[in-house]
Amino acid sequence: MTEDAGRLAAFDARIAAGEKIEPGDWMPDEYRRQLIRMISQHAHSEVVGMLPEGGWITMAPSLRRKLVLLAKVQDEAGHGQYLYHAAETLGVSREEMLEALLQGKAKYSSIFNYPATSWADMGVIGWFVDGAAILNQTMLARCSYGPYARAMIRICAEESFHYKQGMEIVLTLSQGTPAQRTMVQDAVRRWWWPTLMMFGPHDAESPNTPTLVRWGIKTRTNDELRQEFVNQTVPDAHTMGLSLPDPELRFDAASGNWRFGEIDWDEFWRVVHGDGPCNRERLEARRAAHDDGLWVRQALEAYAART
Amino acid sequence: MSDTQWPRYEVFQQETPDRPHRHAGSVHAPDAEIALLNGRDVFVRRPECSSLWVAPAGAISRATAEEITGGALEMDSTTGEAVDYLVFAKLDARGMLTHLGQVRATSKVQALQEAARACGPQTPFVLWVVPAAQLTRSEPDQAEPLFAPALDKPYRDQAFYHIQTALRRLRQEAGD
Repeated sequence: MTEDAGRLAAFDARIAAGEKIEPGDWMPDEYRRQLIRMISQHAHSEVVGMLPEGGWITMAPSLRRKLVLLAKVQDEAGHGQYLYHAAETLGVSREEMLEALLQGKAKYSSIFNYPATSWADMGVIGWFVDGAAILNQTMLARCSYGPYARAMIRICAEESFHYKQGMEIVLTLSQGTPAQRTMVQDAVRRWWWPTLMMFGPHDAESPNTPTLVRWGIKTRTNDELRQEFVNQTVPDAHTMGLSLPDPELRFDAASGNWRFGEIDWDEFWRVVHGDGPCNRERLEARRAAHDDGLWVRQALEAYAART
Repeated sequence: MSDTQWPRYEVFQQETPDRPHRHAGSVHAPDAEIALLNGRDVFVRRPECSSLWVAPAGAISRATAEEITGGALEMDSTTGEAVDYLVFAKLDARGMLTHLGQVRATSKVQALQEAARACGPQTPFVLWVVPAAQLTRSEPDQAEPLFAPALDKPYRDQAFYHIQTALRRLRQEAGD
């Protein structure tokens, strides 16, 4: 047995025993590569994820809603930082990750390339998008790489608040005036399919999944998580009198699952490859934020350099 | 300095005064004072902090269980003046790097050796030693301005919302 094969066997055994891999431990190059890819994309998603909601802070309908939305967007900034830290422990620098994002070379969750066009979107994003993210992140909190798992534990605890504040908005609007009910129903219609796309391609089309499952990075597949999301969301929608835009949606008593129609994968790949409703706008906003923050960085450096 | 990445600082967080500091993550900052402020903003948006410590990532010496048992810490010929190092160890497979105490040593490698011995018969999964002189602590009189604002924001806690109660009530109304 070569040295690497021996190390790989020991590595696989550690993961099978439920041990966490820590920075400095030997790991296969492919394990490191997959983690850097996933964690940096996850970090970018938190950072870009601030943008659809950030624009609504000053238009929140009450001071309470404004404080809550501000707190949620601050959390997302913090989550991006936790994740950049976790990626840095694998040997990639924060600077190169930020540079890749600003240059449009980095991927982030496509959901944030859709526009938030009404106040009801603030509710539905929390209910759908954060609800979907929590399912994925609860899985990743058990991931085999220590720094990623610990970042996820922190994030999941905070994200429950994101989900519930969104649900509270949806509940309020769904029991409100006819105009409010129309507004929230329209938001549900627009966000449903993009949210189902968040879980990624079908298992059969997801080349990375078997490797990620084998190394304990993911413990569940895209399709499993997507099905759980549909199962938990459909009954709540019905309770609130909201309909979901899928004529094929029906309960399958034999499996206990809600069956749903096929996702528009052409749309999914279009948005992934840069041609979504807001891809350009999001990148421009991110670049402007970076440029506008230059004076703050310069001021902090001047302060640190004082004698 | 041009507009590039600042040095990285590791951040250690104490949740309540009776508990040890634990590693929270890292921030980038131009100096330790700003690192403390960034650490507060990134890691303390909720009321679970009584003290923060930061140390430049480059000043920390680290060893994994493999390095400790594999003898990577054995060859040390350097000697200097004895200084204090803070010891952080991850002793539980699923745990976090936790402050254990302090050792005095004449080099980083000796500090790691002393720290490994201080962990007792168990080999830590991860071991860090931080020169005490390189550590910056939030001052006790800063605790209120740094950490009290999080107390005023109960709406950051998921328990502030009563969604399941509201959904149950709707289901009951529909059933009536």
